[in-house]
Amino acid sequence: MLNYLITVTEGLTLTVILLGLLSAYLPATYGEKGAKRLLIGAAVGFVLAAVVAVLKNATKLIEIAGGTGMWNLRIFLLSFIALVVYCIADRRRKDAGELPAKTVTAVTVAGAVLAFTFVFYTFPDVLAYPFTFSLNGESLFSTAFFYRFIGYVVGLILCLLIFVATRETAARMSLTAMAWMVNILLFLNAFQQLTKIIQVLHAKRVVGGHFLFVLVRFTSNHSDLFIYLTMAVALAIPIFLWIKSFRVNEPYENPAEHRKIRAKWRRSRRWSTALICCFALVVVNLTALTSLDNREVELSPAEECEIRGDSIYLTLEQVGDGHLHRFAYTTENGVDVRFIVIKKPNASSYGLGLDACDICGETGYYERSGQIVCKLCDVVMNINTIGFKGGCNPIPIEYRVEGGYIIIPVATLIEHEAEFQ
Amino acid sequence: MKKILALFFSLAMVFAVAACGNSSDSADTGNVETEQAAAPDDAGFTEYPIFEDEEVGFMNVSAVYFQPVPMSNGNENVEDFDIHLECDVAALENDLGYGAGDWVPYLTVDYKVVGDNGNGDVAAEGTFMVMSASDGPHYGANIKLPEADTYAVTFTFHNPEENGYLIHTDAETGPGGTFDEFFADGNLEVTVDGWDYTPQEW
Repeated sequence: MLNYLITVTEGLTLTVILLGLLSAYLPATYGEKGAKRLLIGAAVGFVLAAVVAVLKNATKLIEIAGGTGMWNLRIFLLSFIALVVYCIADRRRKDAGELPAKTVTAVTVAGAVLAFTFVFYTFPDVLAYPFTFSLNGESLFSTAFFYRFIGYVVGLILCLLIFVATRETAARMSLTAMAWMVNILLFLNAFQQLTKIIQVLHAKRVVGGHFLFVLVRFTSNHSDLFIYLTMAVALAIPIFLWIKSFRVNEPYENPAEHRKIRAKWRRSRRWSTALICCFALVVVNLTALTSLDNREVELSPAEECEIRGDSIYLTLEQVGDGHLHRFAYTTENGVDVRFIVIKKPNASSYGLGLDACDICGETGYYERSGQIVCKLCDVVMNINTIGFKGGCNPIPIEYRVEGGYIIIPVATLIEHEAEFQ
Repeated sequence: MKKILALFFSLAMVFAVAACGNSSDSADTGNVETEQAAAPDDAGFTEYPIFEDEEVGFMNVSAVYFQPVPMSNGNENVEDFDIHLECDVAALENDLGYGAGDWVPYLTVDYKVVGDNGNGDVAAEGTFMVMSASDGPHYGANIKLPEADTYAVTFTFHNPEENGYLIHTDAETGPGGTFDEFFADGNLEVTVDGWDYTPQEW
């Protein structure tokens, strides 16, 4: 659940703040055309993002030489061109005073293209998340699926709120202040895109050099920094409105007008509070919830088991409750060779294997809501295939069921000592 | 103006959406494009080299990576991984019966990726699985590697005899050599550092 809440917020916050600002600024300055074109740009981006999300899921697009690998780079380049056109044309507005038709067209089209690139870049991943809700074969009605869905939807609602609150607060600022805010954040976003371009080109060995690598290593490992910076800058809007709302000096002629003015500023304060709360939630998501989501799972301690001669004997009652049971045999070299036993659902057979797999090593498995999960890669095991070789399945071990016991030769466990060293 | 607007807007869309296509106009340099067993019509998929042509015992070893790939037998999920790490092993001239350039089967290959150019924490480790791609068989695994860093990569090769691979020992039919020539002192290992890695958006 947390995972999807975090990834949705992480993926969309920047985009919705920028869209919120543009959707306040363009209509305020360029009228209906600004609003309409921005909406078209974002809508086209959204539809194409949905198509890409479905394609990605259906075909698992593999990076073809010279083809799909450059997809993000092309979007960023288009975004740069739109930004340049936008800045030049929007500057002309201030110089001209009047609004020439060409300026209006240039700014609004550039704004639409910017909105298109933001949406088309960020939404495919977010729209593709639902395809992964039941990747491990859970039913659509399982608790795991439900929690993931809830996390995803809460993330989307939070992002929608940020968009609306940014738009509502920004629209209450002066045109000049709005223009400055839009420009600062667009350039900050462009800088992040630039570092991503360098990252792609560096990975593809088109550019090299230690300095560029150090730069992209930093920006890649601290990608949330841009979200924090954007929120820090955008935070000026609600703070400014809050302060301004207490220094209202608008003239009024009668008490009714006075009440109207007061109500207007009360609304401003509410939207400001909403935006500040949303930003606080994003910070909580990216810090506290992320560390909660990444916390290491403690494996349950090994249970007692009986060693008779050269074999380990486990009674069927001991492991017959359908839950994961962990045991360990300590070799002469002091190595704990761990193994797990689970009774298979709707069957009288047992799944036995080492508490390790070929891929992830000896990290072990744990039980989460009735499912067996690999601690390292978080893959949910199919309980019915535990005991079979392959993938992230526990490494199978030799055993036999006899006289109410599961009997495991100690020699089998010693053989696998190296896995646990 | 409206025509220009329409033209610009359409071009913009085509330009960005072209990213979803699979044009084969490769402008990339420095990438290894698969050739060996790929069908002639294939554009080939892009592999990113980590190191190439390290000689280890009787083997020539190269390491490449590319985007995580779905594999058979329950390994279809690629969502949790960042890259597919691959170890290509080809036999050098040898007296073990492998043709020079042949893939070497029946190996157990362990991998270890260590941050800070080998001085930091272990970022990923495990044992490769054995698989076939369109360019032939190899040892590889989908792994998590979310942090950009300069990494040192170590591959450890176990004696093929551990997996039951045998060599004729008689004078008439045997190739003349034994694995002991190479594995008498334990496993073979190759470590290459200086891999400047940044994660990619696939």
